Amino acid sequence: MGPYHKPPAYAKKLLFSFLRNDLAEEVEGDLEERFYSDLKRKSHLRAKLNYWYQVINYLRPFALRKSIVHFNRYDMFQSNMKVAVRSLWRHKASTFINLFGLTVGLSSCLLIGLYLQNEYSFDTFQDNRKRTVRLIMEYGFDGSTEIKRGNYTSTKVAPTFSRTFPEVEAAVRMTDSDVVVWNNDVPITETRFMYADSSFFDVFHYEWLQGNASNALHGARKVVLTQSAAQKYFGNESPLGKTLLTGSDRTPYEVTGVMKDYPSNSQFTFDFLASFSSLGVNQEETYFNANYTTYVLLKNIYDLAPLQEKVTTFMSTEMKGSGATINFLLEPFDQIHLHSPYQGFVPNTSITYLYILMAVGFLILMIVCFTYINLSTARSIERAKEVGVRKVVGADKSQLFWQFIGESTVLCVMSIVLSVGVVMFALPYFNLLTEKHLEMHALTSPVFLTSAFVITMVVSLLAGSYPAVILSGFQPVRVLKGVFKNTNSGKRIQQSLIVFQFVISAFLIVSTIIIQNQLYYIQHKDVGYDREQILVLPMKNKMLEQLSVIKKELKSNAEILNVSRCVSTPVRIVGGYSMRTAEMPENTILPVIANPIDEEYVKTTGLEIIAGRDFSEQDMKDADRDSLSTFHFILNESAARELGWSPEAAIGRKMFLGDHRPGIIEGVVRDFHFESMHQSIKPLVLFTEMRGYGQLLVKIRSSNVPSTVSFVEGKWKQLVPYFPFEYRFLDDDYNKLYQSELQLGTIMSLFAGIAIVLACIGLFGLSSHIVQQRLKEVSIRKVLGASVLDIAAILSGSFVKLVLIAIVIAIPIAYLIIDRWLEDFAYRVAMSWWTFALAGLVVIIISLVTVSFQSIKAAWINPATTLKSE
Amino acid sequence: MIETRLGEFEEVILLLAGILGEEAYAFKIADEFEAQTNRAVSIGAVHSTLTRLEEKGFLESEMGESTAERGGRRKRIYTITAYGQKTLKASRDFKVSLWNQFPGFATIKLIVD
Repeated sequence: MGPYHKPPAYAKKLLFSFLRNDLAEEVEGDLEERFYSDLKRKSHLRAKLNYWYQVINYLRPFALRKSIVHFNRYDMFQSNMKVAVRSLWRHKASTFINLFGLTVGLSSCLLIGLYLQNEYSFDTFQDNRKRTVRLIMEYGFDGSTEIKRGNYTSTKVAPTFSRTFPEVEAAVRMTDSDVVVWNNDVPITETRFMYADSSFFDVFHYEWLQGNASNALHGARKVVLTQSAAQKYFGNESPLGKTLLTGSDRTPYEVTGVMKDYPSNSQFTFDFLASFSSLGVNQEETYFNANYTTYVLLKNIYDLAPLQEKVTTFMSTEMKGSGATINFLLEPFDQIHLHSPYQGFVPNTSITYLYILMAVGFLILMIVCFTYINLSTARSIERAKEVGVRKVVGADKSQLFWQFIGESTVLCVMSIVLSVGVVMFALPYFNLLTEKHLEMHALTSPVFLTSAFVITMVVSLLAGSYPAVILSGFQPVRVLKGVFKNTNSGKRIQQSLIVFQFVISAFLIVSTIIIQNQLYYIQHKDVGYDREQILVLPMKNKMLEQLSVIKKELKSNAEILNVSRCVSTPVRIVGGYSMRTAEMPENTILPVIANPIDEEYVKTTGLEIIAGRDFSEQDMKDADRDSLSTFHFILNESAARELGWSPEAAIGRKMFLGDHRPGIIEGVVRDFHFESMHQSIKPLVLFTEMRGYGQLLVKIRSSNVPSTVSFVEGKWKQLVPYFPFEYRFLDDDYNKLYQSELQLGTIMSLFAGIAIVLACIGLFGLSSHIVQQRLKEVSIRKVLGASVLDIAAILSGSFVKLVLIAIVIAIPIAYLIIDRWLEDFAYRVAMSWWTFALAGLVVIIISLVTVSFQSIKAAWINPATTLKSE
Repeated sequence: MIETRLGEFEEVILLLAGILGEEAYAFKIADEFEAQTNRAVSIGAVHSTLTRLEEKGFLESEMGESTAERGGRRKRIYTITAYGQKTLKASRDFKVSLWNQFPGFATIKLIVD
């Protein structure tokens, strides 16, 4: 025990700051004795830490100084609470309005908060997320200036990267697919089936349950199941080493492991994880055939920028003389879900939408706070006497300030408790609306609790502080003399807050109307094809041989008009090809989108041929003569225009699609939207190819849909027993293109509705107070001969004026902001004046109705009752 | 049920105070508790319990003589009261009677004074 070892001074200081004086001597002695006895047995540090521990353990009621336990503030606090509760109780109407407003506002914020938390939590469970990148392929063809980018890469990329760049620790290729899995003898299409390299386990998070991760995906036809997939196919037996049959030919896959269900807040998710080599695709041949996603784990996050440079140089030498340029961009993994223009396996969410939601939540809170401020300042005359008496008795300004803050805090805390209940009730519906799986337990996470607490405190301060300042500033002499009136400045503040509230509501309503307009436009615009009453049935290549039989059998039913086989439905055509015509200069090409179809496609989908003719059965046969094939093409208007032809001039011209498809242009169709309306219409080629398959389109009559569908199902089961029967309607596919927009639309409508209701509730409360204060004026006007209508007009007019000002302010703001949202669409509605006029009218009518309640009630009053008591 | 108003931890502390006699002050009791039970306990927790026991009348306390070893600071020495003794005994008798009714152990003769 050296002379320098003394108990830590700060701990001692802390101890004396709270310890009762009469205990000081014995406690200090005890702790010191403990400290020195510790020093003999343990290290200096341990002894010191233990001293701290002992000091903190003296924070017990019995040892605390009286002034801490029974400080005067505590009594004041108690008294403030009591007064707060009593005052809230006495003014039931405004308390109810505030409570309702705050609860609705806070519930909205909690829901938005849950949504945001879920979106921000995407991929955060991946430990390597900072070091992982996704490769984006950037490519163009010689002779074309167009550069394209996409989240797809070829099989060659991952092995090349691992071999070439020492910065790469691991690379994994992944792709997802719908795979038919046989459960006993029932084929089930599993959509959550994913193929990945065994390096998946080096790069990504997983929680292993059975089997051995290190070799689970080595070799072809190995599959790892998640717990729920294992349960579904094998029940409670261990699936290890067992076999799953997949596909129409019942390919066996060996189950080599079971892992925990993959988190849902991930950019990829699956129930089956099969080895990448099962796909049997060529490993090294080409940079084209880019159908897979490649993720790369870097050794060090700082390698990203230098590696990007190396990749660019490397790829430009690799591609020399190949007629195309390809480069790979490294995209940080944790940026993908919210920031990337390229989708993950799970659809991305645009960060803009999250900002919009945040702003909406904030605006709703503002409305609620303003209502509180307005109602409490409007009531200030009633509270003035209380303030005066308190001041005379000796309360100082700050005590009064905290008393009024106390009131708003009580209200806020009550509302947040109610809100949690509301959220519990509303969450399932909100989930339906947003197609999320938000769960209540996210509400108890520390981040969420802290932010809820902070929001509550901020709202109490924000809403409470202005009334608190005003009320605590009253001069007792003036108040108690009884000649006290609402100040002019107070009125001005009330008016500007009302204007502000209605600016917010009008803004939200205008935005919602325009968003809904655009959505209506998207859903009802003539897209150039018919999407009603068309069934989409996914098909297999094995079905190509039986196709004529299948078509004939289906068409035997008079309800079925046409049956067409194609690769892509007209809703979304993605296949990128290059084309050439004889007239084009050597070595130039035109990049186009192309879709293999059959002779019934145009009829089935109602495309309009504006020049030339549709494909014939003979055309189809021409395309299937091995080396002697001649192809037939139908262009869209844009393609003809791009090539410099009028639709008529294009007919009969020769062209090549890709390298090996020579043929003749037979027809031109009117432009139709084969991508979402965010994109403008690109050049498109429809061509005859016997081997193209993917979907069967069945156009049916609208008369008896269910029985027609069951007829198709019956035929399918009979003719195609090896592939499950599944169908979608084409218009559902179409709506899926705009899923995030449609969601935004519904969410905006919901919250805009909430905003206007809250603003009106505030207006209702305030108007009732102000009308109350003007009762004498009303009575005198009546005595002098004013009619009920005159009085109602006078009283309502002053409010409507404010709402009008608000609308005038809100419209340009909404115009500017919504214009930016609309810019994302290549095809959009014009914002016409009537949209704004309609929104304005809606707001005025709603507010007029709200105010009229009170003013008409006041106008009916018998003047004698108010005037007799002066 | 015999009302002893004595929790388990309280009972142990009370017993230790009795065992330590002249040396029964918060630090020593906490030290002894740790030594006998192998459980960590803070002096504050023991002190708090001692205070409560005193309030209940099981203990009395008095400041002791000042000694050099703790910088001349005095200790508060706790002594068990007659009521405390009685309560301890009642608590033990109650448990013994329970043990005697317990089928697996009823044959074992417990020494009771």
